[in-house]
Amino acid sequence: MVSDRRRDFKLDLWGIVLLVPLLISPFVTKDVLISSLTYQISIGVAATMGIYVMLRMGLLSFSVPSFMTIGGYAAAISATAGWTDIFFLTAISFVAPALVAAPLGAIVLRLKGIYFIFITFIFNEILQILLFETPDLTGGANGIPGVPPATLFGHELAAQPQLVAVTAALAIVAALITFVVTHRFRAEFTSIEENETLAESLGVALWKYRTIGFIASAGVSGLAGFALVNMLSTAHPSLFASWSVNSYIAYAFVGGRGTLLGVAVGSALLIAVTNYFSAFANLSAGLFGVLLIVVMMLAPSGIVGSFVKLADYIRSRSVTRSAPSIKEKQNEFG
Amino acid sequence: MNSVDRAGPASAKNASGDALRVDGIAKRFGGLRVFDPISFELAEDEILGVIGPNGAGKTTLINVMCGMIEPSAGRVHLGQRNITGLPFHSVSQLGVVRSFQQTNTFSKVSVEENLFRAKRFCSKRSGPDLGLDDLLHDFELAGHLDEPSDKLPYGLQKMLGLIMVLATRPRFILMDEPAAGLERRERIRVDRFIEHARKVLRCGILIVEHDMDLVKRLCPTIVVLESGRLLAKGPPVEVLARPDVINAYLGDSAD
Repeated sequence: MVSDRRRDFKLDLWGIVLLVPLLISPFVTKDVLISSLTYQISIGVAATMGIYVMLRMGLLSFSVPSFMTIGGYAAAISATAGWTDIFFLTAISFVAPALVAAPLGAIVLRLKGIYFIFITFIFNEILQILLFETPDLTGGANGIPGVPPATLFGHELAAQPQLVAVTAALAIVAALITFVVTHRFRAEFTSIEENETLAESLGVALWKYRTIGFIASAGVSGLAGFALVNMLSTAHPSLFASWSVNSYIAYAFVGGRGTLLGVAVGSALLIAVTNYFSAFANLSAGLFGVLLIVVMMLAPSGIVGSFVKLADYIRSRSVTRSAPSIKEKQNEFG
Repeated sequence: MNSVDRAGPASAKNASGDALRVDGIAKRFGGLRVFDPISFELAEDEILGVIGPNGAGKTTLINVMCGMIEPSAGRVHLGQRNITGLPFHSVSQLGVVRSFQQTNTFSKVSVEENLFRAKRFCSKRSGPDLGLDDLLHDFELAGHLDEPSDKLPYGLQKMLGLIMVLATRPRFILMDEPAAGLERRERIRVDRFIEHARKVLRCGILIVEHDMDLVKRLCPTIVVLESGRLLAKGPPVEVLARPDVINAYLGDSAD
């Protein structure tokens, strides 16, 4: 697949447009399944944005659950203390993990490959222990129950459609932030992913752009944490288990890790299929695994990536057909 | 054919008058000595050739000068500024940019995107039109702008790498075997590139190269590295006639 600025821009915009129905659906249907899928997809999309930003630089970060934890708990603590304004909670859930990511990035971004994956995974485990060991702040094993819903200009957004709409809105905000960051630094990010020695030789400061990406990834993950806490009215360590990152990584790879559209498609598809498979009780995990294997074998660049490849192939075929052959050219010029 | 002016240090007149100076730099990897302390200077608008047998430390010298690796001893100065130990990207941002022995482009993206990135990454430096379109046309790259760079023939990939270096508006270019892997008829493009770079930027150029014809054509001064020491420095005709230089390449007939 050839990277193309204009095409990637359009596909990323489509990824955001695809999220708009999530915002509308709570107000047009009261169907419980659709409501459940809407908020699950919204949270999945927001969390997967955290994976996506780092993948743009070729880094697979497992730290999304930990930044979701920080964002979610920051919002829960603030809301419990009476600061329930949705704009404030959105800001605090973005800024708190971003502030943690800045110094953490200085340490972990020196690492690459399996070492980076390992240290970011370990960070999740450390944070889980910290949650249990700081009951005065985080509620320990009990978490923080009864988190008040967010308010908009003093009005509580407590009704189910409103809760779902807030979750979808946070997913759109996360997607917009991701869109802005990945397009503002697209050349730098993709150059680091493709050939970091060449990028550095041309003047790209690797640490700077990796840190920007890591901070953005932490921030959007924090928004996903806030969305989860606000939806469930509780903040609990079990909501942010380390293994949950596997699902977000699967969403990115199955959808196609090259575009925001891939993130949206992968999240929506896998969450919908997981819900469908849940009807098969013990077989559900196995069926999910088989689906992942099949998709990755048939479409290694993800669903969207495969369609883009197919479009490239068709376009190159049509160009070849329409281009005059050497014999035709010779005839043309006598 | 020699289309390039053979400008030496004495003719180096430019806006800043800065030089890239290597003061007694040495490099060791643990117990392995790559080169002993060596010193030389590359003025802006000068072309300096670096030759030597395989393993003499030529590429390591470029790696040290451009900040990819730190020297074990000595300093590298850009004008009055000590740039020893600065990160690779910082040295590049100061205008000391290297090319690579092997083809080195952003392989998944188009030729046009490669050039866009090179220009973007050096956006802090501005100046006259670089005439990149002329080079693209002369090197037959103009018709391949939409193609992924890894689909280009080897020779065109190498020339794209050089044009990307030029697009960053360097003050000094460190070229690591620019003719390596090129067919004989393609090597004249290296001459054309250097002629163009000096014309539009008047930059200093250091060339590490094995092609002696190319070195003799382009470089008014050469230094010879052998087993990690600076064996000789001077005009190619004189240096290449010296018995110790001949021995370094061909071995002593008495051996």
